[in-house]
Amino acid sequence: MFDYRQFSVLRKTNGSRPLLQTHKHIIKIPERFEFWERDRKGGYNTKIKTAPLDNIKNGFRELKYELKLFANEVKDYFTTDPLLLARPGETDLLWCFNSPDVLDKFVTTSDSDHNEGFSNCKLDMSPAGRAQFHGYLDTRIPKDGRIKKSGYCSMRSKRIRKSFKRDSTYDWNIYNTLVIKVRGDGRSYLLNISCEGYYDLTWNDIYHYVLYTRGGPYWQIAKIPFSKFVLGAKGRLQDKQTRMRLDRITHFGIACGDRYDGVFNLEVEYIGLEYDPTHDEEFAYEMYKTEKFIVGV
Amino acid sequence: MATNIFRSFLRPRIKTSFFKRYESSEKRVAIHDPFSNKPEKNKESYLQVIKFFEGRDQRRRGHVEFIYAALGRMKEFGVNNDLEAYKALVDVLPKGKLVPTNIFQAEFLHYPKHQQCAVDLLEQMENNGVMPDIEMEQMLLNTFGRRGIPLRKYWRMMYWMPKFKNLSPWYLPDKMPDDTLELAKLAIQRITSVDPDTNINLWQTEEIEVALDKTWIVSGQSRIQKLLLAEQPIEEPLVIKGPYYVYLRDQSVTYFTLLGKIRPEPKDDIDWDDVSKIEKPSGIPGFIGKTTLPSIKCTVHEQDDGTILAICATGTSSRDSLLSWIRLLEKHDNPLLANIPVIFTLLAPPSDVSLQETQPALQEEDNIERAG
Repeated sequence: MFDYRQFSVLRKTNGSRPLLQTHKHIIKIPERFEFWERDRKGGYNTKIKTAPLDNIKNGFRELKYELKLFANEVKDYFTTDPLLLARPGETDLLWCFNSPDVLDKFVTTSDSDHNEGFSNCKLDMSPAGRAQFHGYLDTRIPKDGRIKKSGYCSMRSKRIRKSFKRDSTYDWNIYNTLVIKVRGDGRSYLLNISCEGYYDLTWNDIYHYVLYTRGGPYWQIAKIPFSKFVLGAKGRLQDKQTRMRLDRITHFGIACGDRYDGVFNLEVEYIGLEYDPTHDEEFAYEMYKTEKFIVGV
Repeated sequence: MATNIFRSFLRPRIKTSFFKRYESSEKRVAIHDPFSNKPEKNKESYLQVIKFFEGRDQRRRGHVEFIYAALGRMKEFGVNNDLEAYKALVDVLPKGKLVPTNIFQAEFLHYPKHQQCAVDLLEQMENNGVMPDIEMEQMLLNTFGRRGIPLRKYWRMMYWMPKFKNLSPWYLPDKMPDDTLELAKLAIQRITSVDPDTNINLWQTEEIEVALDKTWIVSGQSRIQKLLLAEQPIEEPLVIKGPYYVYLRDQSVTYFTLLGKIRPEPKDDIDWDDVSKIEKPSGIPGFIGKTTLPSIKCTVHEQDDGTILAICATGTSSRDSLLSWIRLLEKHDNPLLANIPVIFTLLAPPSDVSLQETQPALQEEDNIERAG
């Protein structure tokens, strides 16, 4: 499977040459392996290493909770009827940030976490009792000769899962609109909906859309149809766009990276879903038929 | 003597000569930077340097390096938003020479460094929000042919950039004003766009005799807010909160809000349709019934953390200018402010933010001062 969704790097760097290796003062350009993806995180290793004995202990500790989850799943299987339709005009809340424990379902990342920049961010409760995603966006570039651009902060929900750490996906097929109530600072933020699939080609598929904020003390409700989201992989918009698979959604996130240095502050009250019967657009972007050498495959 | 000769034989030759080469080359290279010795840095001098480079040498040796160097200097010359400068840089690349002539050249990246250079140039345009035009396409076509990677980049840009260019519901001019007063007006307009009835006033603190700071105040208040202010209970103090930031592209403006109490909700304890006790069927995401979040208030100004009575931005963001603002509000049809106490709750700025010159120190946390 040839990975054509990559950076705009046209030339691969030369492999390690013995001459360069012997002299430490010559900076070797890291080799980029572009044939297949080795791991889901793209080389950003964030796993905490634990001893095998600790692993066993932790496993037993978690067993109780997992069994409880499993029991709930079994109960749901017999008692729950599938949802067939959403009520038009009513918002079903995915996350309602009215208590601090909802924040545990999210993870924040910024470029300083991987020594790739100087931004930092936090997700905590605001004085008004909502989630507050705030921090400092810094576009300075660390002088290590490797990083070209920096300056991002993001919050992302943890992967939805079933009992015993089995990955699962959201199923939003009955909805067609994302509803988010925010109070921002005039910056524009990026909404990210990840649709990680099985193959390495799809691990970095994220659907993006811009969230413009008014700024000021007034709350605003943004309703964004899913048809408007554009497909990107590793931050690059793809030539072959498709509508997102609403039953394959793995993460939801908000990112700040509008290239302006300074503090940012986004208060979120809730993130929800809605069915809008007047919106029957499948996909908002027309796709032209292009020559084969422009759009691969 | 003999030991010296012996030692020189023993020493690894290759290594020393390798370092020697670098050492000597470091001393002899004289860096010629045509950008640094320009006295004034503007668009004209930038284009002059490019013209000079083009005319210096018929073969234009090192033009890829020159373009990269020029791209890095764009911000310094203030041309990073200028399409003409980018076009002048594309024009440095030779026409016709880099066009592939057979399928192998077309497939295997003919002149890869040049192509990458042009792609990087286009990407810098994209990052600065500069949309290329048809002439640019023609220039790139003449340089790289229609199978060049820069052309693909160009076509992608021309597909996506117009789609996102005017997407923001809050219009901002292409060229942001340099004047802080104009910026403050734009910011207050943007914030108060939630209520189209809002009046935005520009006041000078000179109208108040006791004011120490002589500066301007941009204040926004609608008729509903005036009514809400008139209805505030006299025993409960109003609160000035701030400074908060609002961003207009790269510029940020500090603003302050005057907050009042929320009107008491009409009380009705018996709720026959209370569904909050019903257990939520599993499988439905979200909540059924009432969450702890408050319901929608009658007016947009009644937010859940208080009633927003007015918004302002001042020239100095000082406490004295805010005091003048309260007095000016009182003068302009808000007579209640004469009797009601006002608390100043000015937050200290976050520790990692350096203050700009226009915002003098507001480090006192929760300073309480009574006015009126």
